[in-house]
Amino acid sequence: MAPPPAAFERRVLRNAAGHHYLRVRLELPDGGARPSAAQLKQLVVAALRELHGEVGAALPVDVLTYEEKTLSAILRVVSSGFVKLWSALTLLGFYQNRRCAFRVLQVGRMASPNVSSCCVIAWLGEHVAS
Amino acid sequence: LLILRYISNEFLTGFCLALFPLVYWTKQSYDVFGFFFLVGYSAVALNHVVDFKEKKQEIAKPVSPSELFPSLPIVQGTSKQLKVLTRLTLVVSDPSHCNLLRSTSSNIRLYDIIAVFPKTEKLFHIACTTLDVDLVCINVTEKLPFYFRRPPVNMAIDRGIYFELLYTPAIKDSTMRRYTISNAISLMQICKGKNIVLSSAAERPLELRGPYDVANLGLLFGLSESEAKAAVSTNCRATILHGETRKSACGVVYTVKKLRKVEEEETLPACKKAKTQA
Repeated sequence: MAPPPAAFERRVLRNAAGHHYLRVRLELPDGGARPSAAQLKQLVVAALRELHGEVGAALPVDVLTYEEKTLSAILRVVSSGFVKLWSALTLLGFYQNRRCAFRVLQVGRMASPNVSSCCVIAWLGEHVAS
Repeated sequence: LLILRYISNEFLTGFCLALFPLVYWTKQSYDVFGFFFLVGYSAVALNHVVDFKEKKQEIAKPVSPSELFPSLPIVQGTSKQLKVLTRLTLVVSDPSHCNLLRSTSSNIRLYDIIAVFPKTEKLFHIACTTLDVDLVCINVTEKLPFYFRRPPVNMAIDRGIYFELLYTPAIKDSTMRRYTISNAISLMQICKGKNIVLSSAAERPLELRGPYDVANLGLLFGLSESEAKAAVSTNCRATILHGETRKSACGVVYTVKKLRKVEEEETLPACKKAKTQA
């Protein structure tokens, strides 16, 4: 017996304790030492501390992937701290006294994974050949 | 079961405005321009700052963008070229400096956008209520010497004048960050998020941030999501159109019904009187 056709279902979960994902790229034009994954995490936490203080630095941020060659990473943060993290990355200007800039390439959201949900990803401006 | 959906181009990639100070034009400046288009902006204004504190400031004719850029890159997502406008910022600290704006024959008329940077409360009031400008710049590098009051701000909103906030000083220095956020929050309290334009004063490509990043900064200043997006896109477009109408309008013609009775005084209503002084 053929299974019934799959119905499209859209569930909007409000206030679901989920995570937001950011694909970022650090721009360091001068040919100096590139940060490692641990140093990148330290940089992100320092940026949060500069802008949002101790409470901001205490936000649970994870670096899921990091490529040292292209300096691009995927960060994960709880949804309540998403605006704080994004604004802290935007206003970061220096890394070890070198000028740098964070370019946020992609932004995504996922609710708790034990419910069938839709993962929404938005491209922002630059297209990265993945 | 994960359903992946791409929501591309749902955000406006049209009309995001960014500032670029035309202080030194170097080879590096071309790189900044390349960046503007790469990051997703579709209109850029070249800023020419005139400070009246220094003596004998002559306002030169604006540099034509076609001279500087023989070929403009095409905005990604559309088939239009990057739009380059000229802009003049007047730093006024004395009411006599505003006389230049009222003079009819000067190079001011050739600029696309005119912005004024008032330094005192009285000048802020004058700029919001009577001056013929498109943007009023809000100081973000130092503590505001005056508090915003509701009447001039509401009048500026009615007239279609936008308040501009810069975000590049916040990237450079941490004290500037505090001043930027505190000045922005006090402005938001009075104007309730209407008529705000966020722009950069980037001199290097690294000081530039993408339009969505800047819209997120608007959230930090206290704007709602739609207001923050509008601050980067629709409000900028409205400023450009305001500048265009200011450039093209030269007078208003209206007809007044002639009263037959001789005893009645023929008095024009106050609003029509103001229009004749354009």
